[in-house]
Amino acid sequence: ELGEKEIEEVLNDLMNELLEYDVAFESAEQVINAIRSGLIKVRAPRFGDKTAVVNSAIYEAMLDLLRDIPDMDLIQDMQTKGKRPYIMMYLGPNGYGKTTTIAKVTKYLMDRRFSVVWAAADTFRAGAIEQLEGHSEKLGVKVIKHQYGADPAAVVYDAVQHAQSKRIDVVMIDTAGRMHTDKNLMEEIRKIHKVATPDLSVFVADAMMGNEALEIARTYVKYVPINALIMTKVDAYPKGGSVLTLLMELKRPILFMGTGQGYDDLQKFDKSSFIKQLLGMEGMQ
Amino acid sequence: MKDLTDSLSKLVDKIRGASHIDEETLKEVLKDLQRALLKADVDVKLVYELTKSIEEEYRKEEPPSGISSKDYLLYLIYNKLISIMGGETEAKVELTKRPYVILLVGTEGSGKTTSAGKMAYWFSRKGYRVGLIETDTVRPGAHDQLRQLAEKLNIPFHVDPNSKDAVDIALKGLEKMRKEKVDLIIIDTAGRHRNEEELMKEIKEIYNAVTPDEVVLVIDSTMGKQAAAQAEAFNRNVPINSIFLTKMDSTSRGGGALASVVRTGAKIKFVGSGEYLEDVELFNAKKFVQRLLGM
Ligand SMILES: Nc1nc2c(ncn2[C@@H]2O[C@H](COP(=O)(O)OP(=O)(O)OP(=O)(O)O)[C@@H](O)[C@H]2O)c(=O)[nH]1
Ligand SMILES: Nc1nc2c(ncn2[C@@H]2O[C@H](COP(=O)(O)OP(=O)(O)OP(=O)(O)O)[C@@H](O)[C@H]2O)c(=O)[nH]1
Ligand SMILES: [K+]
Ligand SMILES: [Mg+2]
Ligand SMILES: [Mg+2]
Repeated sequence: ELGEKEIEEVLNDLMNELLEYDVAFESAEQVINAIRSGLIKVRAPRFGDKTAVVNSAIYEAMLDLLRDIPDMDLIQDMQTKGKRPYIMMYLGPNGYGKTTTIAKVTKYLMDRRFSVVWAAADTFRAGAIEQLEGHSEKLGVKVIKHQYGADPAAVVYDAVQHAQSKRIDVVMIDTAGRMHTDKNLMEEIRKIHKVATPDLSVFVADAMMGNEALEIARTYVKYVPINALIMTKVDAYPKGGSVLTLLMELKRPILFMGTGQGYDDLQKFDKSSFIKQLLGMEGMQ
Repeated sequence: MKDLTDSLSKLVDKIRGASHIDEETLKEVLKDLQRALLKADVDVKLVYELTKSIEEEYRKEEPPSGISSKDYLLYLIYNKLISIMGGETEAKVELTKRPYVILLVGTEGSGKTTSAGKMAYWFSRKGYRVGLIETDTVRPGAHDQLRQLAEKLNIPFHVDPNSKDAVDIALKGLEKMRKEKVDLIIIDTAGRHRNEEELMKEIKEIYNAVTPDEVVLVIDSTMGKQAAAQAEAFNRNVPINSIFLTKMDSTSRGGGALASVVRTGAKIKFVGSGEYLEDVELFNAKKFVQRLLGM
């Protein structure tokens, strides 16, 4: 067995590593505690390389932490729910990548022969409507829009009506970015969600987030259900540990990862390869 | 918020309670300080360096007469952080020539365009004539966003929806703004990060073409360690002179910005705390450090 001192040393190094990669402090502590109990059970060889045994114990313990988070495939979910239109609502803090992600996921669905319409429900931020229209021109998608300052819920209502009458498969709702500390805007997102009754409420998060990920996640779920996550800007920070923070806190699947500014920069998420990458164990079997 | 916060306000209470700091309290206080800074997103190595240097300083000398050991320790902690952030006096913002040219850079979605509008608002209120230029040819609607902000402020601007040449847009914009006789020209750029080589090359080209008087890096306060890593990467390509720290209306502590200051030597000048153009103020180190420590 591993000595107590050895275990604490391993855990201390791991804690620092998790913090270095921006796993939130509290989440990192949770991970460490879970791994401690895993490590106590480890039978390390008396001679030779302990690292491999220790690493695989760490890996197993982390995978175990995420065990109850279901995998999710968008197309499968659409088929299971069997609804037309299937309504996706995108929400999250300012500038994390909602609008761009909508364009990417739309391209993904259009490549698979689904039809999509967009609701320009960000009626607040300068250029928000033109940004969607810019993408729509390139992808050939219709945008349902009102004026700046209009009620976002009314835009959503119109877009769903449009989809129903035109038999369009998917409605994507682009909501305005909002900080979790803004109570009025958080109440507004609650209301938009009520009107939209989305089949999938997608929280869009930036891979570069730090400890604030925890606070944001905890506040958001008080106002609005979150069914899935999309991590953006993973190309800027492939090892971004906020993924782990959010997975542990929200217990929701990661639908996609954004890996660039192009339409095809969208990847599926895989728990085990993410953990291996975070731990620097890419070579592990 | 409450449960994860404020090891340092507890720490401060702890020392306030103690009349004299013994070895055990010192260790405990430094450990709590480390936790507070780690929760605030300060780089792990930097955290250990900081607490080590505070400890050394504390041990080196007796507190000045009339000052208790607890107050002395608090003073050392506070002072260390304040001095890193550039001292207690408010940031200095001067336009040392006319027109003064500012180039805004930063990662995607950090808040550059909005902050360009905020700086324009801030300087306009001081009585300067400000012009805005948009060189983002990547993000759809970027020019509309800048135009709408400029129209709201009723100030001159330059955009070119048909061009894909950021350098050319910047130069034409400069020419136009010089004719407009503005005091300050703010050039907004597309978002980019350290792994986007082409875009990093582009920012260098823009810099070389316009030779700005000041390069302002826009940092999102909700970012973790990448704030500093990205700041360093930008600083390798263009000299970062100052920092605009955004989204401080969040609950984040800003430790990423602290590390960015340490790594680049640039000072924070402006703080953004909301989506409206008026949500901008000059950086204040005292306020920043208090927030960083959860005080
Ligand atoms: N490198 C990279 N950039 C991304 C990615 N996803 C989004 N972006 C960029 O991030 C910036 C902000 O994206 P938006 O889609 O406007 O973000 P948003 O959440 O809609 O922003 P608001 O509506 O203002 O809250 C844009 O410059 C995008 O090109 C990604 O996966 N990788
Ligand atoms: N809550 C809050 N939101 C902010 C602040 N500054 C900017 N934003 C928001 O952040 C989002 C992104 O801002 P932009 O100005 O578009 O960011 P950018 O860096 O120009 O983005 P790209 O050009 O795509 O790289 C928008 O929703 C802004 O309204 C701030 O201080 N607080
Ligand atoms: K510098
Ligand atoms: Mg948007
Ligand atoms: Mg911009």
